[in-house]
Amino acid sequence: MADFHLHRVNETRWQIPRDERRGMRTHVVIYASDALMEHIRKDLSLEQGINVATLPGIVGPSLAMPDIHQGYGFPIGGVAATDMDYGVVSPGGVGFDINCGVRLVRTSLAEADVRPRLRDLINQIFRDVPCGTGGAGFVKIDREGLKRLLVDGARWMVRNGYGFARDAEFAEAGGALEGADPDAVSDRAKERGQPQLGTLGSGNHFLEVQFVDEVHDEEAARTLGLSKDQVVVLIHSGSRGLGHQVCTDYVAEMNKVMKKYNITLPDRQLACAPIRSEEGQRYLGAMAAAANFAWANRQGITHFLRGAFRRIFDDDTRLELVYDVCHNIAKRETHEVEGRKHAVLVHRKGATRAFPPGHREIPGDYREVGQPVFIPGSMGTASWVLTGAEGAMRETFGSVCHGAGRLLSRTAVRKGKDARQEQKKLEEAGILVRSETRDGILEELPEAYKNVDEVIEVVHQAGLARKVARLRPMGVIKG
Amino acid sequence: MEREEAFEVLEHPADVGFRAFGETLAELFENSALALLSIRAEMDRVEAREEYAVEAEATDLEALLVNWLNEILYLVDARAIALRRVRVDAIEDTHVRSTGIGEPFDSSRHRLRVIVKAVTWHQLKIVHTNESWVAEVFLDV
Repeated sequence: MADFHLHRVNETRWQIPRDERRGMRTHVVIYASDALMEHIRKDLSLEQGINVATLPGIVGPSLAMPDIHQGYGFPIGGVAATDMDYGVVSPGGVGFDINCGVRLVRTSLAEADVRPRLRDLINQIFRDVPCGTGGAGFVKIDREGLKRLLVDGARWMVRNGYGFARDAEFAEAGGALEGADPDAVSDRAKERGQPQLGTLGSGNHFLEVQFVDEVHDEEAARTLGLSKDQVVVLIHSGSRGLGHQVCTDYVAEMNKVMKKYNITLPDRQLACAPIRSEEGQRYLGAMAAAANFAWANRQGITHFLRGAFRRIFDDDTRLELVYDVCHNIAKRETHEVEGRKHAVLVHRKGATRAFPPGHREIPGDYREVGQPVFIPGSMGTASWVLTGAEGAMRETFGSVCHGAGRLLSRTAVRKGKDARQEQKKLEEAGILVRSETRDGILEELPEAYKNVDEVIEVVHQAGLARKVARLRPMGVIKG
Repeated sequence: MEREEAFEVLEHPADVGFRAFGETLAELFENSALALLSIRAEMDRVEAREEYAVEAEATDLEALLVNWLNEILYLVDARAIALRRVRVDAIEDTHVRSTGIGEPFDSSRHRLRVIVKAVTWHQLKIVHTNESWVAEVFLDV
């Protein structure tokens, strides 16, 4: 039996009250339906939500989104804000894939244009968008250029011919976080990341050609340039080896210095240091640099993607960025807490920023409808376009879920299955899949994930975000 | 105690872990490296043609294992090396010196299973009983 009290607050909210015996400094709030809670209770995600509630300087509750599942240290699908003056920063609370995120690219093509040439298109994208498992470089860049890219993010890519100015403008934070410190990024991290710039990676990363299946909010969809049957491309990737190494370096460092700051935690992966400490500041500088690398990385992928579309369709085919959001990040933001403005560091670990209409950080074209949010589902089901809503600002530090959430472990889902057969089954359902690795298909099968529609229903009902459109996959590239 | 297997794979809802065994600390480390390498890539066609030095330090044994495995991961990921195994040359609680055995990655012969992002500190455990060592480690994939 789990050693905590979980009670239901209303249709979409649950709570675990603060328990001092467990070192909790605050309570835990979970957004979930009955059905989703049944899944959530099966793994350690609630325990991990409690661990997050022990972090020094946590402001407001430890928050869990409906797609929450067990991570390492922090749960995936968790949000925690810490006080800028006396709170901590935890590299594990951001994760090894710093600024893992998704971007949606809209095309000037309709499903009927693409369907007859889908196989050629998917094969072309598979050739042109590298997964990055081989170690060769794809974006021409030297060490000096990399240092500049770590400060300028997507803008460096645009300046060097890998995109258009609009691409950077329509990314969260303009495609470059302020405060990046390339010198806080180790040489090893730079060496590991440089040849991987512009590559997809593996695991749950993917590139999906999809079409708009349902429009739920006509006005918002029009504002985002989306309409029924239009073909779009969803790209899910992060900061590759550069970000992984930054996190590795700083979790190790913080494990060394925690004693100095009198911090003890229930799991070493939660290792943290005061935001104001030298270690905290260096990490934040390195994290911002890695986040910028991730935006540049997704920009590189977008560039290669455009090339692939042009080879299959004519030169007039337009591919425009709708928006780009990160879901593994810690950001300095100001939020209202108990009626007062509070400067906090919002850790989003598998959670997406979802600012409501009118927020000044949303590009002018979209400001009236709210910040676009993209929620990828599994490769056989659906993905969603949402916009941020006021509830997120009131309750979740402007955050919402990031995916469907895993249901089955990698070993459990592949048991007794054959990659080629599964690929055929998906093909019969109208979804072509190409993968660099066999495991890439088997471990990411649709049954490994919760039902994304159920997750979306909860955040929509809870008023954290609004449904705009549902997207269905036609072709998937996996690492 | 005679054990046939070097390690077993542990289930995790999102990621993957392993439990490695060894009669000595050196063997425990070697088998942990083997677990990491074989979760990451198919190894049967990797040839033992070159040697690569891998060294790590830490303030305690658990941290040493994580730091050392992350050193190996850095070598295979950043330098694009395919390794068959890692031999421990000298080990104490806070320092390990070792040699990776393999060759440069060649996509025509070598295949990755999954990119391992990092070796985590989550539920990290090393247990020493009278006759053997056991370690549990989770990976972020």
